[in-house]
Amino acid sequence: MVTPIIMPKFGQMTEDSSIVEWLKKEGDTVAKGDTLFLVETDKSVMEVESFNQGTLLKIVVGVGVSVPVQSVVAYLGEKGEAIPAAPAPQRPAPASAPPAVKTAAAGAGAAAIGAAPSAAAPVRFRISPRAAALAKECVIDPHAIVGGGPDGRIVEKDVKAYLEAHDYASLRVSPAAKALAAKEGLDLIALGADNAGKRIEVADVERAVAEKPTAMSKMRQIIAQRLVQSVVTAPHFYVTVEVDMTETLAHRARLNAAGARYSVTDFIAEASVLALKEFPTVNSATDGRSVRWHSRVHLGIAVNLDQGLVVPVVRGADEMTMAELSARSKGLVDKARAGRLAPDEMSGSTFSISNMGMLDVEAFTAIINPGESAILAVSSTIRKPVVRGEEIVARPIMKMTLSSDHRLIDGATAARFVNSIKTKLEDNGLWSALTS
Amino acid sequence: MERFDVVVIGAGPGGYPAAIRAAQLGASVAIVERERLGGTCLNFGCIPTKTLIASAETFAHVRDAAAFGVSVSGATFDYAAMVRRKDKVVDQFRGGVKQLLTANGVKQFSGSAAFKDRETIVIDGDLTIGAKKTIIATGSTSATPGFIPLHERIVESRAFLALDRLPKSMIVLGGGFIGCEIASMAAMLGVKVVIVELLADILMLLDADLRSEVRAHMEKTLGIRVLTGAPLADIAADANGVSGRCGDETLRADLLLNAVGRRPVTEGLNLAAAGLEVDARGFIDADAYCRTKAVTIFAIGDVTGKTQLAHFATSQGLVAAENAVGSKPRRHETLVPNVIFTAPEVATVGLSESEARALERPVKTGKFRFSGLGKSLAAGETTGFVKWIADADSERLLGAAAVGPRATELIATATTAIRAEFTARELGETIHAHPTFSEAWMEAAHALRGESIHVPPRRR
Repeated sequence: MVTPIIMPKFGQMTEDSSIVEWLKKEGDTVAKGDTLFLVETDKSVMEVESFNQGTLLKIVVGVGVSVPVQSVVAYLGEKGEAIPAAPAPQRPAPASAPPAVKTAAAGAGAAAIGAAPSAAAPVRFRISPRAAALAKECVIDPHAIVGGGPDGRIVEKDVKAYLEAHDYASLRVSPAAKALAAKEGLDLIALGADNAGKRIEVADVERAVAEKPTAMSKMRQIIAQRLVQSVVTAPHFYVTVEVDMTETLAHRARLNAAGARYSVTDFIAEASVLALKEFPTVNSATDGRSVRWHSRVHLGIAVNLDQGLVVPVVRGADEMTMAELSARSKGLVDKARAGRLAPDEMSGSTFSISNMGMLDVEAFTAIINPGESAILAVSSTIRKPVVRGEEIVARPIMKMTLSSDHRLIDGATAARFVNSIKTKLEDNGLWSALTS
Repeated sequence: MERFDVVVIGAGPGGYPAAIRAAQLGASVAIVERERLGGTCLNFGCIPTKTLIASAETFAHVRDAAAFGVSVSGATFDYAAMVRRKDKVVDQFRGGVKQLLTANGVKQFSGSAAFKDRETIVIDGDLTIGAKKTIIATGSTSATPGFIPLHERIVESRAFLALDRLPKSMIVLGGGFIGCEIASMAAMLGVKVVIVELLADILMLLDADLRSEVRAHMEKTLGIRVLTGAPLADIAADANGVSGRCGDETLRADLLLNAVGRRPVTEGLNLAAAGLEVDARGFIDADAYCRTKAVTIFAIGDVTGKTQLAHFATSQGLVAAENAVGSKPRRHETLVPNVIFTAPEVATVGLSESEARALERPVKTGKFRFSGLGKSLAAGETTGFVKWIADADSERLLGAAAVGPRATELIATATTAIRAEFTARELGETIHAHPTFSEAWMEAAHALRGESIHVPPRRR
């Protein structure tokens, strides 16, 4: 029996997903539990396993195509079985929603063929085969041509007039450059306009190819969307303190020497969790009308990856010992680096920490994750002269900047909260009590 | 103190064109040369070797004329006369350079130039001139490593060209293009030649198929012994001859030609006074606009350690002059043909097949052997082939190589085509006159596209 394989839904937010790699080919035998393909969702890459066994008869959705969840991506069955006429993967009719993110990728630059002239009324692009062939032969973008035929259809005459109007005959282009421009879908007239009358050579086309806009990854698009949402809705303000890390570093060195491995982030995380218990407002969120306090601390820890930022979440951090918190966050960070975080391991945080200490920065500010009301930006620990008593001494100093949502948190609260973290980090007695 | 807009140091194939171009652009120009106008190329390199090679080839043609139905008995040659002809050619050419410089109003100074500061140059320690801009074009000279003793029987290329008689036997140390050219010439005139090359093969910059073609001809037809992959050790010379050990064998000959390489000439320039220094290998660093790190000073040619070829120096010289005088800087050319006057001749331009492989760049190649051309058969010159290297996808021509008759002339077509960014298709569509050696390019372009007319299809 032929069974369709569908694109599964990961998490609540996911509408579209794309396959990054098929691990099975058409004709391959598939056992129950075999990994069929890898999917890029909003936040990570997931493996999809087969629920059935049989032969992979047909792959309907190839690599890199974004399709709505629940779409059929392939068919499984007995060798030689006929497959049903494949329905083209289609998105459910959008209910007056703004265009989906994926269409944004079409906003190509001036030189790219296929860029719709305007996003307004979607007029069907009509061109005669002869006109299309001429445009293709001349390596120009026919979308810019105004059609003179019936219903605005572009006919050969229009293309010729367009070529003349743009002085196409005076364009000088090397044969190899023309071939490359055709292959890359670039417009020679646009290339010529950028080239100030010089002959268009391969290097010019290569430059235009390199500058051609490319679609951001799904993950990057979601990051962009969320950051804009946060900056637009939550009025941010910032409070910075300097922390003398002498005690913390000394204690960490003692622990490490004794074989208990803790990172600096572990100390900051623990101090933050303790401070959040003292300042429940900071562990809350608002939509501008109501406040929702979170009884539990789900701590987000930002991890920088090549493909973008992810924030794995230590759930229930307030009920963990420091050793548990450290082990859990290390596990999550390792998973994040491997790109294998499950959707619920990177959602639902109530407060986040972004530590750029290893990147040699003096100070920076972070943008609050939507759904939270504050984020702590931790900078590098740098040895600096400070005044202790009447003496100037060198101390390892770390700056921390708290970004707060001013709708919910006032300046004094933010100041007290961030100083509470600072005090904890400077308190050797506390760390001795928490760890040994 | 006399002041000039541009002072060129060195009147070789880089320096004298630079001086003339700067003068054409309206600058007041001086050129300083410590030896002879024309530099190594004209006096001790390209021109004298090619003149002697022409004599050697003429002798070989006459000797082998019977194959063409021409009877000549007892063909002999007079090497001293060949050398006199060479000297005459060189003198004539040098006179021409002098005339051109004078006609363009370039003031010529004879002596060694040294910087006093960035804009002042002292000639032979007594005459001081001012230079708004300076172009360093001091070139290179033969390198003599410490393991080679000093003896009159041990010569480098320049001293070899000054000899008025040939040795009976000769060891050539170094299988680069200089060593192989002189070895070919001498072997054509009956000298027993052994080439010793430390690397795995001679002419290592060439693709293996070109190397084996040249080497086979040099060994089998010219009778040159080629020893590769081992150094020449224990070099000694006395009144009776030279000797050296290569592997287990002791080689003996009348003469040893040292052709291990060339080193830049910068001594005496007092670069430090101009705020310049040489790099670890002794070269003066210059960028794509021929600028050194001192803003008023440019450097071109062999002394910059890029491609060490006269025509590249000339091209750089023109660019440096324009950049020194003009306001719109331009980069020097990077597509440099490489010509080697061995027997058979070899020439290459652009990317080689092995370079493409090293870059992991997908390429297609197309080859055509001269033996398939009517003109080659008619002329009795059927050794070798031409080869295109093109981008696998677009078939854009990226490189070319020729080995065989007129290879050094034929490379001009390929250079033009690559510079114009031709694809293999256009080159194949271009009409090539029949019957000529040039047809090989068209045939090779067809071969690259699998559309050969004159090669039977491969069996599937």
